[in-house]
This record gives sequence, structure tokens and C-alpha cells, in this order.
Amino acid sequence: MTEHEMNEHETQQIREMLQQALPAVDTELRRDLWPAVLRKLDQRPAPAPWYRAPGFSVPRFSVPWYDWALIGLTASVFVFFPHLILVCAYHL
Amino acid sequence: MDTLQRFALGEVDAFEELVRQFQSDVYGWTVRIVRDPGIAEDLTSETFWRIYRARQQFRPDGNFGAWARRIATNLALDHLRRKRPEQGFEIEPAAAPEPDRLVQRETQEKIRQAFYRLPAKLQLAATLALVEEKPYAEIADALGTSVGAVKTRVFRAVRILRKQLDHLGLTPEGAMRARK
Repeated sequence: MTEHEMNEHETQQIREMLQQALPAVDTELRRDLWPAVLRKLDQRPAPAPWYRAPGFSVPRFSVPWYDWALIGLTASVFVFFPHLILVCAYHL
Repeated sequence: MDTLQRFALGEVDAFEELVRQFQSDVYGWTVRIVRDPGIAEDLTSETFWRIYRARQQFRPDGNFGAWARRIATNLALDHLRRKRPEQGFEIEPAAAPEPDRLVQRETQEKIRQAFYRLPAKLQLAATLALVEEKPYAEIADALGTSVGAVKTRVFRAVRILRKQLDHLGLTPEGAMRARK
């Protein structure tokens, strides 16, 4: 018996054991599930997008004052010492 | 405009039509996996709730039945992961069993215990392929994986079961003898 045949044989034996051991289930649906689905829809409506959640407001884009100060300082340094632009560009 | 297009736009009437059309298929598939009618009904209604919630992801030219079955399979898999092995089925005897039948019952209980101890993914594949004898392609489609992956899971499930049953002193030959 080849390995493949042995595997097939083993699978077949396990299949028979499982079919004996596990009770057969009735796959027929006995009632209409639409009322249950509708109840779920009423109880658990689809979540609103995060930006529409109650109490949540979209944060406005803002830059703190110290960042503005740093930008101003850097710009003025580059105005008075333009060769530093090349130095910065080299190091960045 | 057809039902699927109206459903994708969020019309509840169209969704109701789809639920009534596909609920038997989804339930039949789910109950084969979880093997409990009550749980299968809950999971089926949960499946349709999730379908409605995800309706914007559905393409109206797609296969609604296959999509529903895939969601149902994932929910059933989550259920198997949550379920503890000792929550398996108990089959109560109608009367005091004879000694041979007692041995047979014990054997079958051990097989069930070994089966419910399998990892959920392997248990699901083994249930559908071995117990329900569903085609590998159908299982692969529901799991969103390849036929090869399903075959591997079934093979691994068989190997683990064989090992566990050997450990319990229940080789397949022994179990067959106990049944006779």
C-alpha cells in the first residue's frame, strides 16, 4: 500500500468514526428569521462614522505659537545668512 | 433597479427580500458547522445583520449567496473558537444501555471529545469535508482560501484525531470493533 493509499484509508476510517459519533443535524430552517434580523437592526443600528459620533468634533488643524516662532526665527536666519540654506540642505 | 442594487443603496425592503431568499441556505450551512439549531439560528440572524451593516462594501454585480456564506462561515468559526470542548453534545440514552452499547457510547463520546478539542479551523474543515462530505471547492470558497489549504487542514485534523484516539486507546480499528 502506497503512502497516498494509506492516507486515504486513514481518512476514510476517521470519516466513518466521525459520522457515527457526531449526531446528524436537521439542516431545514423551521422558522422565518426576518423578525429576528429586524430586531437586531432596531436594537443595534449600524454605527455612525467616527466623525459623526455623539460628542465628537473633528479637531481643527492648528499650529502652536512656538512652532510659528521657530518658523519665523528660521526664516529670518536664512534671510540674513543665506549661505546657511546650503549648509542645512547638505545636512538634511 | 434590481434587488441587489436597491440593497446596496440601503433599502430595507430589498434587504428583506434577500433575507427571505437566502436564510435557508445560510442556516443550513451554519448548522452543519456548529451542529446546534438554536445557535445556528442566532448566527444566521447575526450574519444578516452584519451583511446589512457592510452593504456598502457589496458590489451589486457580485454573488450575494457566496458573500453571505463567507460571513456566516467566519461567524461560525468565531463561535467554535469561543466554545469550550466540554460543551460538546451529550446524547442521553432512552433506557439503561446494555454493556456492549455502553462501550459503544463511551467510544463515541471519546471520539466527540477528541473532535471538539481540535483547533477551530481544523474542526470546521473536518466537519464540512468528512462529516458533511461537502466538496473541497465549496469549503474553500466559504473560507476564502484555496482548495489546497482546505485539504491540508483536513489532513492535519485526521492526523491529530488519529494521534489523540491512539493516545486514548481508540485506534480506528478498535473503535470499529467497539461499534460491532
